[in-house]
Amino acid sequence: MSLPDHPKTAARPAGLSVRFHWIRRFREGWAIFRENLIGRIGLMLLGLFGLMALCSFIPPLIDPMYHPMTGVDPAISHSTGPSLKHWLGTDFIGRDIFSQLLAGARIAFMVGLSSALISILLGTTIGMIAGYAGRIADTLLMRLADMIMVMPTLLVVLILASLFGQLSIWTIVLLIALFRWPGVSRVIRAQTLTLKQRPFIEAARVAGASHTRIIFRHIMPNVLPLSLLYMTFRVTSAIIIEAALAFLGFGDPGTVSWGMMLQWVWKTGHMFQAPYWLLPPGICISLLTLSFFMLGRSMDEVLDPRLRKEDTNR
Amino acid sequence: MELNKYILRRLIEITVIFFVILTVLFLLFRLAPGDPVSRMVDPSMTAEDARRLIEQLGLDQPLGTQYIIYLKSFFSGDLGISFHYGVPVLDIIGERLPNTILLFTTSVILAALTGIFFGKIASWHKGKKIDSWLTIGALICHTLFLPWLALIIIWFFGYRIGWFPLNGILSPEIWTDPANGFFIRMLDVLHHMALPLMTLFIIHFGSYLLVMRSSMLETLKEDYIITARAKGLEEKVIRNHHAAPNAALPVVTSVALSLAFSINGGALTETVFSWPGIGRELVFAVSNNDYPLALASFLLIAIVVLLANLLVDILYAWLDPRIRY
Amino acid sequence: MTLLDVKNLSISYQTRGGPLQAVEDISFALDKGKTLGFVGESGCGKSTIGLALMGLLPPNTTVTSGSVRFNGSDLLSLSEEKLRQVRWQKIAMIFQAAMNALNPVHRVSDQVAEAILAHTPGISKTDALAQVRELFDLVEIPIKRMNDYPHQYSGGMKQRAVIAMALACRPDLIIADEPTTALDVIVQAQILDEIKSIQKELNLGILFISHDISVVADVCDHIGVMYAGQLVEYGHRREVFESPGHPYTQELVGSHQALLGAQCQPQSAPSAAPNLLSPPPGCRYCDRCKEGGDTCRTEAPQWIELSDNHRIFCCHRDPEE
Repeated sequence: MSLPDHPKTAARPAGLSVRFHWIRRFREGWAIFRENLIGRIGLMLLGLFGLMALCSFIPPLIDPMYHPMTGVDPAISHSTGPSLKHWLGTDFIGRDIFSQLLAGARIAFMVGLSSALISILLGTTIGMIAGYAGRIADTLLMRLADMIMVMPTLLVVLILASLFGQLSIWTIVLLIALFRWPGVSRVIRAQTLTLKQRPFIEAARVAGASHTRIIFRHIMPNVLPLSLLYMTFRVTSAIIIEAALAFLGFGDPGTVSWGMMLQWVWKTGHMFQAPYWLLPPGICISLLTLSFFMLGRSMDEVLDPRLRKEDTNR
Repeated sequence: MELNKYILRRLIEITVIFFVILTVLFLLFRLAPGDPVSRMVDPSMTAEDARRLIEQLGLDQPLGTQYIIYLKSFFSGDLGISFHYGVPVLDIIGERLPNTILLFTTSVILAALTGIFFGKIASWHKGKKIDSWLTIGALICHTLFLPWLALIIIWFFGYRIGWFPLNGILSPEIWTDPANGFFIRMLDVLHHMALPLMTLFIIHFGSYLLVMRSSMLETLKEDYIITARAKGLEEKVIRNHHAAPNAALPVVTSVALSLAFSINGGALTETVFSWPGIGRELVFAVSNNDYPLALASFLLIAIVVLLANLLVDILYAWLDPRIRY
Repeated sequence: MTLLDVKNLSISYQTRGGPLQAVEDISFALDKGKTLGFVGESGCGKSTIGLALMGLLPPNTTVTSGSVRFNGSDLLSLSEEKLRQVRWQKIAMIFQAAMNALNPVHRVSDQVAEAILAHTPGISKTDALAQVRELFDLVEIPIKRMNDYPHQYSGGMKQRAVIAMALACRPDLIIADEPTTALDVIVQAQILDEIKSIQKELNLGILFISHDISVVADVCDHIGVMYAGQLVEYGHRREVFESPGHPYTQELVGSHQALLGAQCQPQSAPSAAPNLLSPPPGCRYCDRCKEGGDTCRTEAPQWIELSDNHRIFCCHRDPEE
């Protein structure tokens, strides 16, 4: 279902420098954003997680036993509660939970941002092409989008995992991105369709600009804010899918992600005995998702609210 | 009449999409790295049986012939034999499907109704305390990590206070005792369903509330709301009779759009609670390299998602008088 | 007998940039069975007056001063519940139907019946629907279309339905806010005739709001011309339309006649209305005025009586002139 297109009637003057407009629009947006409490909280939380990700390099430097994957406390061979030596306790073979948590933040950012970036690039390009080219290209691309959209991404990746064996973290990132572009492309397509009607595109065409130039010089700067907004939602969805995969035991065994930590608690039967182990990774996944979501929602208010509604689901 | 035509068109569309999925899966299963035979033939079979099966599936034939055999057997209901259970895959998933539908539809419908109700309340008191609390609560519900929530719920309700069973769908001692009638058995199922239902409910409730709230805020700006107010109607009537029915329509759309996402959640919930449904069967099959079972579960889920989408569209047309296809 | 008496009404919006004076110091009176028209361009505050009379101003808007007496009682001091009872029962409103004044998910007949049910204690739904049938007869909507949904109606039919709805409780006063703007000329003429004949039949007072001076001159007994939140000219229809006193009214009437006559002279492009967040100290029209002098920019305009029934709000004309 594509939205009826209601561009704001005040069309902007044709020849205005696109770049200048960009900066001004960003400033205005930032001014509104700063007043938004939800957005501020989201940004603060994100900063906190960013700090965690950065700090994840420190513990293994202090002592190899703090290495999240291979470091085992020689004195401990089972799960123990928080202590001075291990702030959040240790897991079932004596690895430090706190340093695992920090490493998990790094993985979550890596997975979320890179997967979202790829899917946004795909979605924006496909959406612009579909909207600009129209006709057969549009129909084919949007049908493809429809088809992918109804597929439950997690289960698709599961099936692929069963066929291709163990997936590395980058394969997972790529797969998530490949199945999460359709939502973005539909919104971008709708936006491109309305832009196509504006006088400044017509003017560029009359002036002899090539299609590529029109798409990248004139349409892209106008759809990018929207893409950026969708990126925040895609980040959350990527993080969640990766965590769920890891939780089900299909994560990359070479990485420590929060989903993986939860799988360990669950599968080793510690969920009733070790709240110090069960709680932190879950809280982290949920909070990180929440903060990206808050950021997205407040950005949504800054941008034209009429353009979304398509899907804000993960 | 028009609606029938629309449904027919959508059914054709669905069939086409399903064929594409069927074909893509066929290609994936045959062309993925590794030996395709190992994916079709149970490794525990005797050499004699294996040879017969390879012949039957045409695995020694060219790809085109294999495809035709594949389609033929699919439409005659032969989806292969599960490696793990040793019985036809169709029997297994046929038995699991009702469980999934029971859990899934109950939770989605309950969550949609409650979400619509509280979203209405929140938007009506926009900017007040109750709105802030509901919105924050919904945001948190919406972003909770589902498997973790499920574990916490099991830990608290199943373990700490022990009101509900930890997993499964029924207690054998109740079902094997012939003295227990239908009612008691159903009660037992409900007792088992409570926790997975709660998990799915919490996750869905938040997103429906948020959609309803923002949709209602848009609706309240409409001219017909001013008309209703000018007519001197009571505020309650304006809210429930004029604003809410219009505002609820996007929620229906959002149910459809988030269906794929909900299915993911359903599979996770079933797995954590050992609820014997399709989603859990798929996860189990994938973990145990039971390829026929994995393939069939996935196809069934695809059919369910596609049909559910159609169902939501029909529901939408029924709710919105403007839409007559 | 005076039905509606508004004195010194001022209304302001709270905006991001501070309070915005949407309506400033407006006074007028309307007799039973008469029609008063307000003309002005969009944003001049004319619709705000209509909403204020119904007590339907948006939350960020307040009446800062003035009084509204309706049938002798003060409307502005009524409690919300009292006001709810007055609405539609005594004062009804005709909205511009193209702006979705009808709820898309309910049948048209039900929406009209709803008004009757809300204000007539003890009436049954069947009786209410019988009344709706009479009303639809009155506004000439085919009875068999009664139970349709709004989207099945044409623009003209929607407008008739909205009129029928306004008449549902036999009000004393109807506020008609741009009732014909979205319609084509022929339907517009039909609807206006209908409004006029119904008014005669029911002895209604009508407050008619439009941006089109010809429509207002056609329907109304008195005309008020508004510019940038202020009333700039007020008087009997014939006097205002045939010998406009204020330069703005002259411009409005002029552009209308330019449309009628063949002499389509290009008008000088008028500049936008002044920013109401910080209105200029003098006359608000001075930037567009052809006759204004320098004093107009600094001196506040005054009411000038042109005749018993005709006054303008202007500063460069001497009363003696």
